[in-house]
Amino acid sequence: MGVKAALARLAAGAPARCFAVVGAEADEIAPWLRLDPELVIVDSPRAADVLLVLGQLDDEMVRAAAGVHDALPPPRGVVSWSPGGERPVSWPFTDDVRVDDPAQIPAACRRLRDELLSGRRASSPDILPDIDPAPWRGVGPFGQGGAGMTGGVPYGRPLAARADDRDGLKLDQILVRVGPYLPPFPSGLVLDVKIQGDVIQEVSIPTPAAVAPDLISAGAHSAGAHSLTGERALFNAAVTQPVPVADIEVARARHHLVWLAEALRVSGLEAYGRRVLKLARTVRPEAAEPVDDLSRWLRRNVSLRWGTSGVGMVSASRAAALPGGPVARAAGDGRDARSLDPAYERLGFTPVVLEDGDALARWRVRVDEAQQALALAQRAGESLTTPIGLVEGPCGPIGGERSTSAALVTMLPELLVGMEWGDAVTTVVSLDIDMAEAALPHDAAVASRAS
Amino acid sequence: MHGIAAALAIFFVTLVGFLILRASERHIAPSKSTAPARVPFTGGRAPDTHAWNRYHVRYYPMTLLFLAFDMEMVFMYPWAVVFVDEGLIALIEMFMFIVILLFGILYTWRERALEWA
Repeated sequence: MGVKAALARLAAGAPARCFAVVGAEADEIAPWLRLDPELVIVDSPRAADVLLVLGQLDDEMVRAAAGVHDALPPPRGVVSWSPGGERPVSWPFTDDVRVDDPAQIPAACRRLRDELLSGRRASSPDILPDIDPAPWRGVGPFGQGGAGMTGGVPYGRPLAARADDRDGLKLDQILVRVGPYLPPFPSGLVLDVKIQGDVIQEVSIPTPAAVAPDLISAGAHSAGAHSLTGERALFNAAVTQPVPVADIEVARARHHLVWLAEALRVSGLEAYGRRVLKLARTVRPEAAEPVDDLSRWLRRNVSLRWGTSGVGMVSASRAAALPGGPVARAAGDGRDARSLDPAYERLGFTPVVLEDGDALARWRVRVDEAQQALALAQRAGESLTTPIGLVEGPCGPIGGERSTSAALVTMLPELLVGMEWGDAVTTVVSLDIDMAEAALPHDAAVASRAS
Repeated sequence: MHGIAAALAIFFVTLVGFLILRASERHIAPSKSTAPARVPFTGGRAPDTHAWNRYHVRYYPMTLLFLAFDMEMVFMYPWAVVFVDEGLIALIEMFMFIVILLFGILYTWRERALEWA
């Protein structure tokens, strides 16, 4: 008892380790949790004490969240937040701690973890049944033998199928069901990936959109009322009404910096990522020097160039098929909805365009655009945008026929085939896919903006 | 004799310490894994197949690479003995030898032997 109590006291001093399941409406909250000293966002449920369920989930995402929940080692608990406090009918978490205000999330996680450790609260029970999908038993008297190792179904699952490798040998090809909650992939992205060794041989998207459109559009209606950081609401508003250029450009710079913080973290530069995230929180047009320093540092960094140069090439023809956005501009396609706006013309705006089309070019385009956005915001003063029905959002044009994120998700299978796993992760991160935008059908988007 | 006794004592003390730790682990954190918790985590969906899979390690070029550096070490021992006497000449000779071996790495790289697929 003494040892256990002493260990529990020691553990109580540490931040709560949380695995975040991020649904619709929560993608503007989740990145900032990394700056909170009360909790640590971990990349695997095995390393977590608390499952954080943020935003709105559809049935499929709730099912996957139940799988994540059961992978947390006990004692474990669930903290959930949803805009408007609504939970789907199929909500599987019976004893979750419900938070109404996103600002309360870190404290709630810490409190829950302390209660779990001290035994004042019982561990969250299993949701899925504890049975293997098939009995693990071969034909022999001790369960051995049969087709393949251990009867061919170790732990109740058959062994991988086989396919040709690059030398014409037949080797195992394993199907990995990626997503919807595999960091650092965007939450909600679902891919079926067939890999051999660590080379991707086939990629398919099991469902066109992982998030139900009705949930998204319902959320988009109420986004303003729940006082999120409001980035998406701001860009959506600019489609139909004039908004200050300075506001929209600072929001763009902030979005790119938040993206960069995550990209740096994925590249193994976690501490630098945190610094960039802190910078994103406080970024102002009149204090743009840190962003200039960042851009200079990024240009000089050899290891980042090594890891991103030539990776995830988006050819000029593929870029032309995209509706626009930084990914297309990094591949030499100069389309930018801001070029059509007279307000930007008066500010002397020219789009940032690079020719290479690889992940490095996308990194550079975003950092250059963040720099440019701050410069524009400073010059803009009180000037307002002109509502022309099309706004250049941080991931691509908003208000067009199709969202850039949806086009990028459709492009993923052909882009990722033949890559090693590490390059695939670098590529997906460099595309900055906004899953809420990808799931948003055109008419729902227009409807939500009109309201 | 004292040496053996001391060694045995250290062995048994370590063994008992290990067993105590191993046994107390269960009391500190009683847990058992369930079937859904045992599968590799890939984002919340259950896998169809087991994670055991065979891939091509490419032993042949890897062996050549190993031999190249093994030979380097074999040569380095006598070289280290005469290095002080021979001086700069020995250093230059070793440098040339290592540069030649580096071509072996470049060859392996070109053959994509360092890729696990």
